[in-house]
Amino acid sequence: MNTSSPALLDARVVLQRGDLNLDVELSVQRGETVAIMGPNGAGKTTLLYALLGWIPIQSGWVLVDNDIFEAPGQDEVTPTRERELGMVFQDGLLFPHLKVIENIRFGTNKDDDLLDLLQTLEIFPLLKKYPSELSAGETQRVALARTLAARPKMVLLDEPLALLDLSARSNARNMIQTALQQSLAGALLVTHDPADAFALAQRVLILEGGRVTQFGTPDQIRAKPKSRWVADLMGWNVFYGVGQGSSVGLESGIEFATAEANLSGKAMVMISPSSVALFVERPSGSPRNSWLCRIRRVEYLDGLARVSLFGPLDIYADITLAAASELDLTPGREFWVTVKATEIQAQVLKTE
Amino acid sequence: MNRLPIGVRILAVLSFGFVSLPLLSLLWRVPWPRLWTLVASDTVTDALFLSLTSSVFAALLALALGVPLALQLSKMSGFAASIARAVVVLPMILPPVVGGAALLFAFGRNGLVGSLVADVSGVVLPYSISGVVLANTFVALPFVVITVEGALRAIDPRYALAASTLRANSSAITFRVVLPMVRPAVIAGGFIAWARALGEFGATITFAGNIQGKTQTLPLAVFVALESDREAALAMSVLLISVSLIVLISLRERWWPVR
Repeated sequence: MNTSSPALLDARVVLQRGDLNLDVELSVQRGETVAIMGPNGAGKTTLLYALLGWIPIQSGWVLVDNDIFEAPGQDEVTPTRERELGMVFQDGLLFPHLKVIENIRFGTNKDDDLLDLLQTLEIFPLLKKYPSELSAGETQRVALARTLAARPKMVLLDEPLALLDLSARSNARNMIQTALQQSLAGALLVTHDPADAFALAQRVLILEGGRVTQFGTPDQIRAKPKSRWVADLMGWNVFYGVGQGSSVGLESGIEFATAEANLSGKAMVMISPSSVALFVERPSGSPRNSWLCRIRRVEYLDGLARVSLFGPLDIYADITLAAASELDLTPGREFWVTVKATEIQAQVLKTE
Repeated sequence: MNRLPIGVRILAVLSFGFVSLPLLSLLWRVPWPRLWTLVASDTVTDALFLSLTSSVFAALLALALGVPLALQLSKMSGFAASIARAVVVLPMILPPVVGGAALLFAFGRNGLVGSLVADVSGVVLPYSISGVVLANTFVALPFVVITVEGALRAIDPRYALAASTLRANSSAITFRVVLPMVRPAVIAGGFIAWARALGEFGATITFAGNIQGKTQTLPLAVFVALESDREAALAMSVLLISVSLIVLISLRERWWPVR
């Protein structure tokens, strides 16, 4: 705990709840949005509830704007309503008996502050409606307006876009981004969608099984996943083997040469599909990581071809459309699959 | 539309017949030409007025007492909650005569609380209109508590969390969020309590007696008339059925929670 912390939020949350064993330390700077991603049951929502004071923490601390809500040796725990933390739920959770405008006014009695907010979130046409008359996207915009209208120091959002269909999502995402920027409050955003995390957040925290496995900028996460879950999320190729020096050997006999050193014991190898190159002829100078594989199928995605190959190695390769048109990517054809050693990420697995 | 199996439909018709046939048979025997004179008698108008006022007051009192109790029970769990619920629901299962006797021991002239009330204020509850209301409230209260507590437990507890993050304290959560959300159940509970109070017999006759013009409600008057004047009894029964049907049909969505 840093007592003269410049951060808006500075917290360490330790608690046990059912199968979940949560131990997370995190910080959010003023005006910053931090995304929390992780598999189901990782403790994302529990973490938010603990920060709100809705679930008690067993040890650790929660500081917001240098106010100590709870800390070791402090008997008194600040109740939820005095924390000035806003919360947006996955399903909005608008009060069903109140009209939109009454929902938004619930936590404030200053109407003049609301105009910008209502404009940004395009709520004016909805003011007299009841929550049951709103679409999922409208519900989430109203829920955010209700939260921001109470002028919280920080906003917690629990998968605010998860129930929206794809067409409504990017629109709502843009509005949320603008509204969060205008409010100048910091935000913690739980999401399943990397697009939300990378568009809205300056930093991304990966939470798995109650622990932080990675906490960094979207670029860092994209460039260097540190866990199987993140690698899968990014569509990376993941292999498990045994490390020895700078190489990792798989059970199948395949040997990856990496730029790492001193690998030993069980190790994970992660390769971005965009680092996998395909050649008709065996490349001259023969880089060490070359295997003759066969095409299983090809999918054409946004601006690239994703080629699935099998053979000594099951691997995905992302090829630009220009390159794909020069190669004959017919299923069953053989290609030399090549990966530079510097593009291979290897990581020794902790044995617990 | 998807139809029900034939067996179920036949049973439904039989069941409806089981409920409506006795009522139809009763209407069959009513001396319709003399109905108005029978109903206009003092005994009947007094009993009707007493029944309507005491049942409405009892329903309001049951709401005033039952809603806070339901709120408290909805927050409780474990053995204490089971005990509390069993005690609250007991008047529903107990023969009303036993309830009336229990009321006498509590609120009677020499009862635990009744003697105190009588000494301090001079008010004697048994054998008075207040006694009728009290007896009706006693049997009607569980219906309010059960209906409202069920609705309270069905509310997502995250609504209270949402309100807390919007700086609501416990009274704002209760009065601005929770109670408005269970409004339909409160109204339904009130009507069920009223219906129960209107038909109340055993506890009323035990605790408040059967004094014509003072504590004799319609059900008591019908009982008395069955012995002495069968036609009057039939006329009063028609009156009770009409009043109940008019109220139930005119407020249909409010007491039968169809969604």
